[in-house]
Amino acid sequence: MAATLDLDDMQGLIVRGYGGLRWASFLMLSITDPAGARTALGQLTPRVTSGRAEPPEVAVNLAFTSDGIRLLGLEAPRHEGFPEEFLSGMTDPNRSRLLGDTGENAPRYWRWGGPATPPVHAVALLYARDEAGLGRLEAEVRHVALAAGALAEIVRLGTAELTEREPFGFRDGISQPLVEGLPRATAARAKGTAGDEVVKAGEFVLGYPNEYGLLTDRPLLPSPHDSAGLLPRVPDGTDADLGHNGSYLVFRQLRQDVDAFRSYLDEATRHPDGTGDPAARDALAARMVGRWPGGAPLVHAPLRDDPDRATDNDFGYFATDRDGLRCPLGAHVRRANPRDSLDPRPGSADSVAIGRRHRILRRGRAYADGGPGGEQGLHFLCLNANISRQFEFIQHTWLNNPNFNGLYDSPDPLVAPRSNRRSTFTEQARPLRTRRLDLPQFVSVRGGAYFFLPGLRALRYLCKATEEGGQR
Amino acid sequence: MPHQSAVTVLATVPPARVDDVREVLNEAGRRGAGEVFRFAEVAGVHFARLLLVPGGPDGTGEMQPPCVVYMSEVDVPVAVHLADLVRSAGDELDKVFAYCDGYPADGASEGERVAWLRSHHVPCAAFYVHTVGRGRQQILNEARLREAIEEFLDRHRAELSGESPARVRAAVQEYVTGRQDLAWARSRPALPALRWRIRRAAHLVGVPLAGLALLPLLVIALPVWAVLVRRHERRDVPSRARPGRDHVRELASREDFGAQNPFTAVGAVKPGRFRRITLTAILFVVDYGVRHFFHRGNLAGVKTIHFARWLFIDGKRRVIFASNYDGSLESYMDDFIDKVAWGLNAVFSNGLGYPRTRWLVRGGAKDELAFKHYLRSHQLPNQVWYSAYDTLTTDNVRTNARVRAGLFGTLSPAGTEAWLALL
Repeated sequence: MAATLDLDDMQGLIVRGYGGLRWASFLMLSITDPAGARTALGQLTPRVTSGRAEPPEVAVNLAFTSDGIRLLGLEAPRHEGFPEEFLSGMTDPNRSRLLGDTGENAPRYWRWGGPATPPVHAVALLYARDEAGLGRLEAEVRHVALAAGALAEIVRLGTAELTEREPFGFRDGISQPLVEGLPRATAARAKGTAGDEVVKAGEFVLGYPNEYGLLTDRPLLPSPHDSAGLLPRVPDGTDADLGHNGSYLVFRQLRQDVDAFRSYLDEATRHPDGTGDPAARDALAARMVGRWPGGAPLVHAPLRDDPDRATDNDFGYFATDRDGLRCPLGAHVRRANPRDSLDPRPGSADSVAIGRRHRILRRGRAYADGGPGGEQGLHFLCLNANISRQFEFIQHTWLNNPNFNGLYDSPDPLVAPRSNRRSTFTEQARPLRTRRLDLPQFVSVRGGAYFFLPGLRALRYLCKATEEGGQR
Repeated sequence: MPHQSAVTVLATVPPARVDDVREVLNEAGRRGAGEVFRFAEVAGVHFARLLLVPGGPDGTGEMQPPCVVYMSEVDVPVAVHLADLVRSAGDELDKVFAYCDGYPADGASEGERVAWLRSHHVPCAAFYVHTVGRGRQQILNEARLREAIEEFLDRHRAELSGESPARVRAAVQEYVTGRQDLAWARSRPALPALRWRIRRAAHLVGVPLAGLALLPLLVIALPVWAVLVRRHERRDVPSRARPGRDHVRELASREDFGAQNPFTAVGAVKPGRFRRITLTAILFVVDYGVRHFFHRGNLAGVKTIHFARWLFIDGKRRVIFASNYDGSLESYMDDFIDKVAWGLNAVFSNGLGYPRTRWLVRGGAKDELAFKHYLRSHQLPNQVWYSAYDTLTTDNVRTNARVRAGLFGTLSPAGTEAWLALL
């Protein structure tokens, strides 16, 4: 029995990626005057888009870093219930090591979110149908939120018009979990097309049962802290639930070095006489990704791209390709979502069930700054209820792990940092594999932060002025 | 090839000296465990650690003293290892144990030091070895062999990729045969000593026989015990405490540098004889299980653990669990919950504050975050930690062994293909 989700209280980004709103920008904000910031954000709150209906023209969502929440007046020990990774933040040195944000990826080089740039306290996520609409929305949001001077805009992260392709040229966003209780999951189940993709709502939204049948830790406040009764109460107690209908937003700006990627592919596949081999080049790129540029998975289309399979997401690895002869064991999609290849007993329902505890809702948008030849990349955004078990696990244990799947010296060929370690990509084959040694780095981190994306009631609570004695 | 031993030397530290010992250990950790104690030169050390176990209350609230612990997993008998270690790093051991009662002072002989260490040795209640009999030298050799073969195949890929699997394998055999430094690869790894194997076989048979003799007693005792377990479980109070932030930060600052991490935790046994007897019995069963069933790359479904040990301290008032595992703590804890929650529950539910269990094995670790908070709260920083092969996972070690095992000798066509797929 699926829990009934309170779509009116959830921010819309949990429910949908706003595919119809093809233009987006993200404003990173710093709080300079907490009282003024609460007022300004409070005025913005009515504009915040809920999950109820698909917004036709524009959407606004708001999220806060741990410092941001503290500045809005939620002091420790009331932070209890927020997880350590959120409290310490993405740039904590221990997290940087875990995430691979070292060497040239280190936070000190970041454009935003690192120690060398002003602190990020909040992000306004803005979406519009067209470019002009986005301009108007930005002007409006700035007028409401920034005019009084209590909030400062640190950086505006623009995006490219939404397409199906990411900057390396591959169709993106094909595999997404279906959130139990949301219309798409319900429809897919009714049609029988849901497969293994339906995941408990509590994996993405706080306050609902997760894949363990439990509620993930979330910030709860003793009821005197919410004397006005703005927040829902926990079912079996009097605590006010600040987390209910909220989620954690992981935001990372990932620069994609498209030139380096292309020239690596050219060099790696050049004939001995120095001429290029476009077919081999495209095949190598596809094997590094695990899908063809058009989207077809190598497990089903090992030899060439297949437009009929552009959004094919109905496959596992164990039965068809246990040894990686079609899709290499170290390919990007095989690591980001190992499907049925995990212990114990790969190929079993248990294996898939374990994988379901490590899913994320991806909400990223590509960007291209400074015209042709300028920086390109992805504003990677994802939502999850447990950053450690979901986003960080995928990043550390699957993508960056040089020993993933029994491999050696083999982090993700596409997205992993290299940081002075050997980086090998192996294409399994009979009788003999091909090892490609010393892969260069193609993706680097330019900024990032962990945000809490509160439910709408929690948002109103956070933006309400603190009364005498810290009560609201 | 010898079997593996678990070395544990544990010595009480006067409370006033705890900070001094911690500083000595931290300094050794900063300089590097391998540099300070030269473990690479000590025969057969797989892993080693030194840490401070803080004093703390037992199940009844009585304070237990702080102690400093040395643990290692080695291919030689305990006494041989301790003598080797004193010879190689006696001065450094002096610094660590100097504050402990009765430690031989300056001018004492190596023999006196070894005798003191041996007198402070604590046996394990249970000791898991990923693959019994696979020694450090074998692991390092086989890693080198695999790398040599891989490089050979890289150099000759163009001419070999058109050949049959059997021809490719023959080319590899010829290459390895031509390398004097890989001559060992032409024979199989030796088995553990015959005497040890006989003793193990006797244990395998002897324990069930003894159990058979006790069967009438067990038949009566088990239902009574089950009722008592349920009664205790209903009464026990799970801890809701979350680990302190500073504690978590210190732990995290020592994790995720290589492919493996060490895990050490200490906890108080719940008060009363019932829990102490239950835990003793459970660990006896665990010991039997890891000796005879879980000794080939798999601890009840978890394959990523190189070594693990359970031991009583403070007169069975507290328990230490220590392991060396692959990957991050998060993935380790997820493995526990997803694959072996029942086993953890059976042991750790006898520890104070553990999440509530039902019938000893149900519930418990399945309460995901309560369990993770519990583990983090009881985890201890390993001030000094050494791994002889810190880029190799258990999976890698196993593949390397299979590469060596299948290199020479007769293989079917399918076997030859499967062997080549390892590379």
